[in-house]
Amino acid sequence: MQRALNSSRQANRAKRQHKLNRLHRLVAKHEPMVQRGASITTGFAEIDAYFDAQVAGGGVPCGGLHEVAAESTADMPAVLGFAHRLAARFMAQGADDDVLLYGQTHAACRDGGQPYGPALAAHGLSVEKLVYLDGVTLPDLLWAGEQALTCPSVACSLLTSSETVPDFTHSRRLSLAARAAERPILLALGKTAASAATTRWRIAAIPNQGWQVTLEKLRLAYDTPPPSAGWVLYPATMQIVEKPNVMPLMRRAV
Amino acid sequence: MTSAPFPPKPQEPLVTGRRIVALWFPHWAAETSRADYDATQPFALIDMHKNAQRLISLNKAAGIAGLYPSMTLPDARALVPDMQTAMADLQDAAGRLQKCAYWLQRYTPWIGEDTMLQTADGLNDYGLLLDISGCAHLFGGERALLEDIAARFAGYRAGRGITARAAIAGSIGAAWGLARFAAHELVIVPEGQDTEAVLPLPPAALRLSPPHIDLCQRLGLDTIAELARFPRADLTRRFGPEPVLRLEQALGQAGESLNPYLPPPQFLARKNLPQGVTQTEALTALIGELCETLAAQLQAAGQGAQRLDVALTRSDNLVLALALPLAHPSADAAHMLRLFEERLNRLSGGLDAGFGIESLQLVAAKTNAITAPQENIGLSGRLRKSTPIAALGGLYDRLVSRLGAQVVVRPVPHASYIPERAVRFVSVLQAQSNASNAVVNPLVDAAARPLFMLCAPEPIEVIAEIPEGAPYRFRWRRVLHEVTIAYGPERISPEWWDGLVGESHAGAKGHNSKTRDYYRIEDTQGHRFWLYRDGLYDRETGNPRWFMQGVFP
Repeated sequence: MQRALNSSRQANRAKRQHKLNRLHRLVAKHEPMVQRGASITTGFAEIDAYFDAQVAGGGVPCGGLHEVAAESTADMPAVLGFAHRLAARFMAQGADDDVLLYGQTHAACRDGGQPYGPALAAHGLSVEKLVYLDGVTLPDLLWAGEQALTCPSVACSLLTSSETVPDFTHSRRLSLAARAAERPILLALGKTAASAATTRWRIAAIPNQGWQVTLEKLRLAYDTPPPSAGWVLYPATMQIVEKPNVMPLMRRAV
Repeated sequence: MTSAPFPPKPQEPLVTGRRIVALWFPHWAAETSRADYDATQPFALIDMHKNAQRLISLNKAAGIAGLYPSMTLPDARALVPDMQTAMADLQDAAGRLQKCAYWLQRYTPWIGEDTMLQTADGLNDYGLLLDISGCAHLFGGERALLEDIAARFAGYRAGRGITARAAIAGSIGAAWGLARFAAHELVIVPEGQDTEAVLPLPPAALRLSPPHIDLCQRLGLDTIAELARFPRADLTRRFGPEPVLRLEQALGQAGESLNPYLPPPQFLARKNLPQGVTQTEALTALIGELCETLAAQLQAAGQGAQRLDVALTRSDNLVLALALPLAHPSADAAHMLRLFEERLNRLSGGLDAGFGIESLQLVAAKTNAITAPQENIGLSGRLRKSTPIAALGGLYDRLVSRLGAQVVVRPVPHASYIPERAVRFVSVLQAQSNASNAVVNPLVDAAARPLFMLCAPEPIEVIAEIPEGAPYRFRWRRVLHEVTIAYGPERISPEWWDGLVGESHAGAKGHNSKTRDYYRIEDTQGHRFWLYRDGLYDRETGNPRWFMQGVFP
């Protein structure tokens, strides 16, 4: 009796698996979820472990649109820090003399300032490889991102908009173009809307020089969804202080 | 009548410091035409003119023999039976004059063609105008310069020479008249004395048209002085506006510009349309055709355009000019067209074609040699990519033509201790500077600098526990931040050479000449900032101000 039940359960499971596989194939046919081309590791052990174990391809794919969004507007610097981290990883995939196109809208430029050359080295980027768009409108910014995809010497483009958000049509267009070109577009956003991005990371700054990183959206085949609580990271290169034997001038208990 | 007082001048002559040389070659066409004629014998160029074979240009000997321009050939032959003649080639003569103008650039870069191209007889007149303002001292003064020019013309073709008359005056009109009508071959009018020099000349020296000269003769006006005595309003009523304008130009009371000879563009494509075109799409297609013509020219010469100028002439003769700089020399028609499309779409207020564009001209104003890309044969389309650098140049061009050259920039390190001066943004179109030359301060730890620097330091309200200490809480952009971690100070003193330069402008000095104490700050929310106190407490300022300068990720 028990055995019969077991076998029927197995048969059901096999049937369900078969159905699921067919569905996967169907979806993959219309919307290739399984990534193609190269992918990167983020350099954060917890995130990489998740991608390695649970996600098809085992990394963040180069070809695609990736959104890095802020928990609140004040978190934009942390968002940009994370986006720069990803950009540096993407740049490492490209050739030696490839450039990073970094563009900002007028509002982002006014609120967040301009990228500071001497600090880039700490984030794995180099000054010589940066091409910077100093304040443009959102349509121009997205246009520039699409143009950059047509040029094989731009390894990655990072577009920042703190107030305005590309709508679904824009993001779908960019996403398709990025996937076809097998090169990434990173969007650093202050707000979010429905989008066709491959991944969306939600970043918040947390005390003691850390980030709360949540992978809100993942349009790749995975086994278990990313943890909804996200990851708490204390990236070493992002520390403002903490040299081994230098105490800060002031430290207050929170 | 002649003793009547000279009427007051309507206005003082403009004192411009401008010095103009007018050169006149009375025998230009004949003297420069052939290398093999005997200069001591009468020689003339013949052409059909006013329904008869006439002498167009003669040499000096012919003039002495009693011949004159526009004389019919039979009359001339009757006077001088053994005269040498040749058929005139007027285009050739004009070309030689232009060559001469380029040669004269050894004296001044600003050389213009004469304003009157024909004499009263309807024959071509050959003269040049040189603006030598500020150039004469290089040749030892105006006298020496003029004599140098005259000597070189006299020595043309082993001493056969070109007859040249020259005058230096303060205005184009005066110099022109003096070169033709003064008693001497070389005339120099001292600065400010144009009026005195011009007044005794005949009215024809004013560059008047033949009917006006006739009228002056019939009225018995033999000199400019007699003409100038009349009130200007009466002259205008009687003659029309031209004589008054010419008179004022000669006396230096009205301005006149000198149009210089410019070397013609080497790469040019042009299209004249039978009818005006207003639609942008049609114009784009036409520009595309021009781009292809130009690209073919450029490719044949192995050159690439670095700057493209397009001029669209409207039917009301208004010229719309667009200039396009290119990052890398390009001879790719499709690329050029794409840039123009972007540019036309981005014109502020759109393209105002008025009643239609009638003529288009595309010029490669600046070119540079390119190595022609090798055609890939037998490779699939995917592999046929252009070289990376060229591709990047193309991207820069597209970005710049749509967004503007000051927006598409690249950071360049700069040797300075002041954080906001340690990097500059330069346009991507500027040649990649030798970045390795820029001194990067080895003392600066990259991690100690904010990833983002505000466009300008923003003043913040700070409460510190002790005046020289780190901030305890601060208000930035109306938000109050409680400090939990403060790391610092990192003290940055003003650069010592800064004060020396800035001494005269107190404002600039005031801001930059204080020592800054930088703190790296984290607040209770985990946001990280870079801020500084401007000035050392009690030593440089009693009430130091605080500024926010950057944010850490």
